[in-house]
Amino acid sequence: MSTTRKRVYGYLAEFKSASALYKGAEKIRDAGFKKWDCYSPYPIHGLDGAMGMKRSILPWFVFFGGMTGTATAFALAYTTQVVIYPTVVQSKPTNVFTVPAFFPIMFELTILFSGFTVLFGLLALMQLPRFNHPLFASRQFHRATDDGFFIAIEARDPKFSADGTRDLLASIGGANIELVEEEDA
Amino acid sequence: MAHHHVTSSDIAINGDHLDPSSVSKVKTIAGIIALVGTIVSVLIFTGVFGPWIRGTYAYSWEFAFYIFLTIPIGATFWVLLHNVSNASWGVSVRRTFENIGSVFPWLFLFSLPLLLPQIQHYLYEWMNIHRAATGDVKEHLHHADHLLYNKYWFMNLPFWYGRVAFYFIAFSAVIIGHRRLSVAQDTDPNPGTWRLLKARYHSNYPLIIFALTITFTGFDFAMGLDYKWFSTMWGVYLFAGAALNSMAVGVIVCTWLKSKGHLKHVVGPEHFHIMGKLMFAFTTFWAYVTFSQFFLIWYANITEETSYFLIRNTGNWNLGMIALVFGHFVIPFVVLLQAWLKKNPKLLSIVAVYTLCMHVLDHYLITIPERGISLGNIDPKTFGEIQVSIPGAFWGDILAFVTIGAAFVFFLIRALGQHSLYPNRDPRILESANVSN
Repeated sequence: MSTTRKRVYGYLAEFKSASALYKGAEKIRDAGFKKWDCYSPYPIHGLDGAMGMKRSILPWFVFFGGMTGTATAFALAYTTQVVIYPTVVQSKPTNVFTVPAFFPIMFELTILFSGFTVLFGLLALMQLPRFNHPLFASRQFHRATDDGFFIAIEARDPKFSADGTRDLLASIGGANIELVEEEDA
Repeated sequence: MAHHHVTSSDIAINGDHLDPSSVSKVKTIAGIIALVGTIVSVLIFTGVFGPWIRGTYAYSWEFAFYIFLTIPIGATFWVLLHNVSNASWGVSVRRTFENIGSVFPWLFLFSLPLLLPQIQHYLYEWMNIHRAATGDVKEHLHHADHLLYNKYWFMNLPFWYGRVAFYFIAFSAVIIGHRRLSVAQDTDPNPGTWRLLKARYHSNYPLIIFALTITFTGFDFAMGLDYKWFSTMWGVYLFAGAALNSMAVGVIVCTWLKSKGHLKHVVGPEHFHIMGKLMFAFTTFWAYVTFSQFFLIWYANITEETSYFLIRNTGNWNLGMIALVFGHFVIPFVVLLQAWLKKNPKLLSIVAVYTLCMHVLDHYLITIPERGISLGNIDPKTFGEIQVSIPGAFWGDILAFVTIGAAFVFFLIRALGQHSLYPNRDPRILESANVSN
């Protein structure tokens, strides 16, 4: 159907350089927006601070993921080597005091579980993988991977208003401001 | 980028010099303690108080000397690594590490008791066997102790003294040369980059000298206490402790200087963050290597190797070893995970002091458990039969530690007062001051 109403994703504005993007991000942060993002071809140092982003929760996931790995390894080694089938090797004890022999596998599984937690925790927090993104509807947005610096403010943001946000983006140096609408569902 | 962007107008043109009057009190007190302790130690070593205290104090001295030897060696390692890796972040703290490293040549004075046969008599049993030889030493060992016969190519007196000379001549030359080169830049009207390139060139082969020094001082002073014992991880183990704790001393010194108003624009939270990260890395590395050493010995189950851990798992030494596992690894590991803590100089200094305390415990467990056994072997009439630890000898450990520690502080403050506290004409000082990670 050609008359379906399209959902508005938000405003997209282009900035001419990394430093302009940085300064623009600081102003949007100070204006109190929460649901918005910057897009640039390369990482910009300190941009997370300019956007007012909080530290990620991911390290906590990783810490407890790693602890889980340690516990798993200990449980595995202890169960097999002590509980189920104790084997005397070189008169080493077959009780909890043989724990030095378990350390290598405890170390390895800590790292393995930490690595998995990093990978899957990161994907979960970034809501990846996804098939599409509303911004792909914009014709100019593909330049974000080449030479374009963009800021997109989402319509979901409580401070979003059709005119006010556009004027704000224009006042802080945004060019080519366009209202991005989601494509037909 | 919350902090002020440093420009060349913030860099003191003639350098940032320590005010002598503000530190003269600490320096004088440290100097007096070191002097009094040295006089008492000399009296002990000359045998004024009898052979019992002389024998036990030899071990105290060995422990204190070696722990303070590791710190300048480690600091020099950081200087060399900084130069050779062409790093820019550490330019503003490099001078601090050069100053810590410059204590190394002075420590030769404190190694003198360990070079005297009368003191070595209590410490290094292999030397007693060598010295008891009549005629050709190697031929004598062939009949007396075949293990020493096989180790003769390494464990012989001329070579031992030659190695000690090598450590103090070659490694002192490294640190003195680097400090001279770095200090000469402070007054040069046209600093240029040639010193940078020269320092980088003269940092690659000294890293080999550094590796030989930390490994073989460990072999000659610490591992030689028991000539039957050996460990293949020994040098790495001592290196891990040295690198970690010289970084800890660097953090403490930088914090202390900042509290006095120095290093104002050039050392900030970011530098402490990096140094804290390195401390964290080497805490982990220390644990890795220390456990590796234990594990190799535990698994292989070779009599010559296991003696080390058998001694240290007997009686109350075991408590110390368990305390080391948790105190030297688990607690600092969890504490240093915090990024906000590593950016706070005062909190990081508290962690650094704690790490140094654990380093002391570590080296105490390396050196002292050997005392009751060796002395019981050498002279049971004076020291009693072989025992876990000699009661009452603990006070000597404190005296030796305070003496050499006070001397270390004295020479460190003396070095800090000599020149600018950061290389103010280094071409990369601004890059370093504005570092962010």
